[in-house]
Amino acid sequence: MELIQKTAAQLHQLLRDREITAAEITDAVFAQIAACEPQVQSYLALTEESARKTAALVDEKLAAGEELPPLAGIPIAIKDNLCTEGVTTTCASKMLYNFVPPYSATVVKKVEENLLPITGKVNLDEFAMGSSCENSHFQKTHNPHDLSRVPGGSSGGSAASVAAGEAVLALGSDTGGSIRQPASFCGIVGLKPTYGAVSRYGLVAFASSLDQVGPMARSCEDTAMLFSAISGADEMDATSCDRGHRADYRDYLARDVKGMTIGIPKEYFGEGIDEEVSAAVMQAAEVFRSLGAQVKEVSLPSSPHALSAYYIISSAEASSNLARFDGVKYGYRSEHYQNLQEMYVNTRTEGFGAEVKRRIMLGTYVLSSGYFDAYYKKGKAFQSALCAEFDACFADCDFLLTPTVPQTAFKLGENVDDPVKMYKSDICTVPVNIAGLPALAMPCGRDSQGLPIGMQLIGPHFGEDVLLSAGHHYEQATGHQFTVPAIASK
Amino acid sequence: MEIDVRHIAKLSYLKIEDNEIETYQKQMSDIIQMVEALPDQADFDAKPKVEDAMQLREDEVRPSTPRDKLLQNAPQVEAGCVVVPKTLE
Amino acid sequence: MEYEVVIGLEIHAELSTKTKIYCGCKNSFGSEVNSQCCPICLGMPGTLPTLNKEVVEYAIRMGHATHCTINNVTKQDRKNYIYPDLPKAYQISQYDIPLCENGYLDFMVDGEKKRVGITRIHIEEDAGKLIHAESFEGSLVDFNRCGVPLIEIVSEPDIRSPEEAHAYLETIRSILLYLDISDCKMQEGSLRCDVNVSLMPKGSNTFGTRCEMKNVNTFSGAVRAIEYEMARQKEILDAGGVIEQETRRWNDAKGVTELLRSKEDAQDYRYFPEPDLRTIYIPEVHVEELKATIPELPNQKIERYMTSYGLPQKEATLIAEDVSRSRFFEQCLEGGKVAPKSVCNWLLGDIAKVLNERGCELDDLALTPERLVELISLIDQKTISTTSAKTVLECILDDGEIAIDQIVKDKGLAQVSDTAVLEAIVTEVLAENAKAVEDYHSGKTNVLGFLVGQCMKRSKGQGNPGLMRQLLEEKI
Repeated sequence: MELIQKTAAQLHQLLRDREITAAEITDAVFAQIAACEPQVQSYLALTEESARKTAALVDEKLAAGEELPPLAGIPIAIKDNLCTEGVTTTCASKMLYNFVPPYSATVVKKVEENLLPITGKVNLDEFAMGSSCENSHFQKTHNPHDLSRVPGGSSGGSAASVAAGEAVLALGSDTGGSIRQPASFCGIVGLKPTYGAVSRYGLVAFASSLDQVGPMARSCEDTAMLFSAISGADEMDATSCDRGHRADYRDYLARDVKGMTIGIPKEYFGEGIDEEVSAAVMQAAEVFRSLGAQVKEVSLPSSPHALSAYYIISSAEASSNLARFDGVKYGYRSEHYQNLQEMYVNTRTEGFGAEVKRRIMLGTYVLSSGYFDAYYKKGKAFQSALCAEFDACFADCDFLLTPTVPQTAFKLGENVDDPVKMYKSDICTVPVNIAGLPALAMPCGRDSQGLPIGMQLIGPHFGEDVLLSAGHHYEQATGHQFTVPAIASK
Repeated sequence: MEIDVRHIAKLSYLKIEDNEIETYQKQMSDIIQMVEALPDQADFDAKPKVEDAMQLREDEVRPSTPRDKLLQNAPQVEAGCVVVPKTLE
Repeated sequence: MEYEVVIGLEIHAELSTKTKIYCGCKNSFGSEVNSQCCPICLGMPGTLPTLNKEVVEYAIRMGHATHCTINNVTKQDRKNYIYPDLPKAYQISQYDIPLCENGYLDFMVDGEKKRVGITRIHIEEDAGKLIHAESFEGSLVDFNRCGVPLIEIVSEPDIRSPEEAHAYLETIRSILLYLDISDCKMQEGSLRCDVNVSLMPKGSNTFGTRCEMKNVNTFSGAVRAIEYEMARQKEILDAGGVIEQETRRWNDAKGVTELLRSKEDAQDYRYFPEPDLRTIYIPEVHVEELKATIPELPNQKIERYMTSYGLPQKEATLIAEDVSRSRFFEQCLEGGKVAPKSVCNWLLGDIAKVLNERGCELDDLALTPERLVELISLIDQKTISTTSAKTVLECILDDGEIAIDQIVKDKGLAQVSDTAVLEAIVTEVLAENAKAVEDYHSGKTNVLGFLVGQCMKRSKGQGNPGLMRQLLEEKI
């Protein structure tokens, strides 16, 4: 079996048994990048030299018989909205086309401490705003399962690189579904952690109260390993915390699904959800039932409104977070200006793409004088109501099961002119961010066109261990095995 | 629902061309209409909650960043300072 | 028409914590440009604030000192506006739930007690500084001051004259110094204020339209700005005009206020809760503990100096208002060796004169309370005269090492109480002043003072004047 087809856990075993070297894994990944990058276009920047250095260091330590972290030597791609000291961090925006941060995100530091070779920075929708990766200023990433389709977004580069074998693991960020939707479109696993479980320091903010960094991987076990490495409280992020934190989430994978209660929220299976998708998720519910879990219908009546609340809260925060991009301290500065006002306006007008401007405008509007109560406060009120509904479900359910996305990957260009239609691809994922909950997205079959279908397991706050063990049991029961799609493995 | 796109653009420090106004007007209105369908939560209490309390930082000095490193991304630097067009207020 | 002025003040005080409010950079003044900064100060993408605990505690202490209600469960909010000295394009401040609110402050104006309400005290971050060099086309931005912690103290519109405003400012300043939470150096911008001024017809209860003046950086500037604005508004009203609600800037050099922006141009700050910080929660027990750390404040001191030490109000106030002076004063009294009035006289007399001449602070002198007590004791014990003591003081103001008895000895300042020596002087003086002796015997006994003076002169100021008088009375 080729190295690029293997999971991180398998590679770790091979490294520990001294059957392969970290250098060989890195070689294999960069060879795959060279082979499929022209079609897939996941990467905005490659950091081959430093990746090879890290791999060499791992091999040296292994040779010396040192005990290494489990993910040492496993190549990882980093979403380009996570700051990497000395390496450009563009957020796929013209605004930051030349930005080289003098600091690294806490998660990047943790990845480095765990000796994972970083392959490079991967594509996203500009400032993580979008669901298709088509909003990148630099390039469009293609879905490795069908190059005419989008990989999803905003962490489209992260998902495509893992699916295509261009990286074994990736870090993504999720504000309204940005890890889970592309994971679903690309047939991989993605975890959106509980708000606060992972440090946001160094993640370029889109919507501070909703953003979370999370792992994207080829199996639930890999996801558990990467989540163990990056999670935990950070003194640089006042919103992070250690509640429910586990040192190694693999220790909980064996926990039995038998006796668990799984809630099926009926609102996530109705109108607007593709029938093939619904059927695949219901089939997965049957698998859990066969493993000894109880499955029951539950209700989250406020869910259909979550998208509205999401657009108010996320746009409001984005309008404030993105006001700092003004051409003064870093990034793009317009060449056309006579005075300060013109410099600000021209820099921002030229530097931001259409979707980003749309959200800044919307956010400014909902916060502007006279509208705060009607919109922002109303959105916050809705948030607390939705949280209460979720809490009620978790009173007697261990986790909830829903589709991740209403449909499978759509064609490039299909939704670009209709923002509201594009936004609707987030209807199943957005409520989770609004409620600050953890959710695991993982493959649960294919549609008639052979495109991956994803299901979403939603847990109570800090219930990542439950989700990962349930997902792991599902993989075992169904004999799920990650494979790099044919297009990318040519 | 009429949104004053020009005023919002001014607050946002963005230039919206005349031929874009209508598109913005429509797209923003679509979203706002969606928002207006949100149910009212009369009993909502917006006050901060003790259970959301954060840990405060101890007052201990940490090293600052060397100036050259800090300003390496600035479009224009002069005498150790970032430069902007003449500004008097 | 006669008008009454209505004044409200917003004071921004920089807190003297070791680090900035949202990062660990040093909170210091006067460093090289952009040398006390990190990516957080510059609002670089992805950076996050972490709130300095000391800032919250300092603000709560100020709240206690001004009898505020402390909101121990609160939050911070973003105030959005774009300006080159504000790197994040928003200031982290507090909007609807200030840390402290509904307090008051009592102080004396012209011997009368005045009470001004404190609307709120909240915490926020300072902005950077723009530097305008003549030789250069653009403006330069120094971010060192970004993130320096501030408290904003907002008063109720209870102030009714420029004098009251001045006294209020002085009182706030002395409290900040007593609490040791701000260095209050006006010349460094540690204390700045915005002044709201309106006029209403005398006897009315309805406030007129107010104007806000920014950029007031000295107390005397505040007084002049208020006086200017009173005159400007009176002129408009007397001419039948109306006052427009506007923001004006105090131009200290020209001594005028200038229009900054009208109400129509009022900025829309789009406040909303700061999502990068969670709830600020200080347990009630700790709020009370902080209350216990509040030292005796000037008002209480004045009262105590008057009742316990018998100082007149004026002297009590002069000592209590000045932190270092009152600390010195109280240290002098610790051993109970000298009379409060004597210490007071020295502090407000000769010592104050020197400080005034030199334009320096008590702490800048080498003189310690122990040494002043030693000096006063020598007078009390009649070892030296008051005149000689002044000579000694000159020596010990700047020299903390030299022994006082050494000075007395070296300069021959010790009082002479040797009866034989003094008798000789008295005999001589009586012989040389036959006219005075005659006057004395004819009933003009007050010439005795003159004769004592003559004896002192002859003894080069060292004779014990009491003993000298006694001997004169015997021999005359």
